[in-house]
Amino acid sequence: MKADSDRRQRLLQIAAGAVFLAVALVLVLVVVSSSGGGDGGDTKLEGVAAVNKSLAGYPQEGSVIGKLSAPIEMVEYGDLQCPVCKHYAEDILPPILEKQVKQGVVKVDFRYMTIIGKESIAAGAAAHAAGLQHRSWNFIEIFYRNQGEENSGYAGDDDFLEAVAKAAGVKDLEKWNEDREGLDKWVEENQQEAEAVGFSGSPSFTVRGPGSDEELVAVGTPGSTAALEEAIEDVR
Amino acid sequence: MSFPDEGILRRLIAFFAALGLGVAAYIAIAEAGGDAPACLAGGAGCQTVSESSYSHVAGIDIAVLGIVGYALLLATAFFATDGVRLAGFLLALVGFGYSVFLTYLEIFKIEAICQWCVASAVLMTILFLLSATRLIGYGGTDPEFAHES
Repeated sequence: MKADSDRRQRLLQIAAGAVFLAVALVLVLVVVSSSGGGDGGDTKLEGVAAVNKSLAGYPQEGSVIGKLSAPIEMVEYGDLQCPVCKHYAEDILPPILEKQVKQGVVKVDFRYMTIIGKESIAAGAAAHAAGLQHRSWNFIEIFYRNQGEENSGYAGDDDFLEAVAKAAGVKDLEKWNEDREGLDKWVEENQQEAEAVGFSGSPSFTVRGPGSDEELVAVGTPGSTAALEEAIEDVR
Repeated sequence: MSFPDEGILRRLIAFFAALGLGVAAYIAIAEAGGDAPACLAGGAGCQTVSESSYSHVAGIDIAVLGIVGYALLLATAFFATDGVRLAGFLLALVGFGYSVFLTYLEIFKIEAICQWCVASAVLMTILFLLSATRLIGYGGTDPEFAHES
């Protein structure tokens, strides 16, 4: 009887000590999770949860959001430092994403204009590198929600860009960092492509679809959701 | 104080650990296929949580950690030694503590609820309570343990 009681006491003593180890292990998991987690670490970002929630469920491939098989392709040429592009992302485009893109009728391809400055190239490369992990639209929209003064240094800042990438849900940050190194040229080619269409301001849009016999239609900067919807309707 | 029969506790642990294993395996398989687990009633919470960078720890899918944890907990149900009772309790304690943290992330950081994650957190809480009851009720009944330690 005494032996049973001793054994029990000894086991519970060991259990009490082991509880500390278990708690320490949980703390390690919590710290590791937080360091890789999605709120941008030391950089405080606005609107992360709202953006990620609103884009959940949309297929993304590279710089494209929406089903690749969608019959209508809309291309947005935007500059991540551009306040008007931010307005479009927050107010003009959401109804189109919510309706035509969600229904699989339209896909939207984001291309980068870099008219505001060199920092726009770094930001565009970072966003497209996120796109290689299916997160370019999360990156772009979180970037817009946290947009600062034009050419003030934030848009090309590695810490800021990494915080946006983390918040956007980029899972392999090492790969993202490697990828963005080589994407400056691709971003600059986007700018040349926009100029070739005749665009000089951002954001500018093109559409193409069955209604235009797959020919590209330059829409420019339409000014409202209704005008953009009309352009989509014309090529349907 | 009277405790439920250890055989019943072991069967309950096996049952809930098997359920947890199924939930974790479903989440891991869905994510490995590039999708998110399907939320009932068509909510987007599962997709939001699955696409969050919090869904991985040090590059490992949390669902895979869940599979390992539930499999080990299931294994503890098949042995009745003090070492296994203690290991089961500690595993369930770690799982329970981490589940609390993940639930906090869902509510306050990701701001989306994944029903499968909630199911896993509930199962881990039940397993923690069962394993604690088993250790307190039957720990020290294994003569080998005292001899070894």
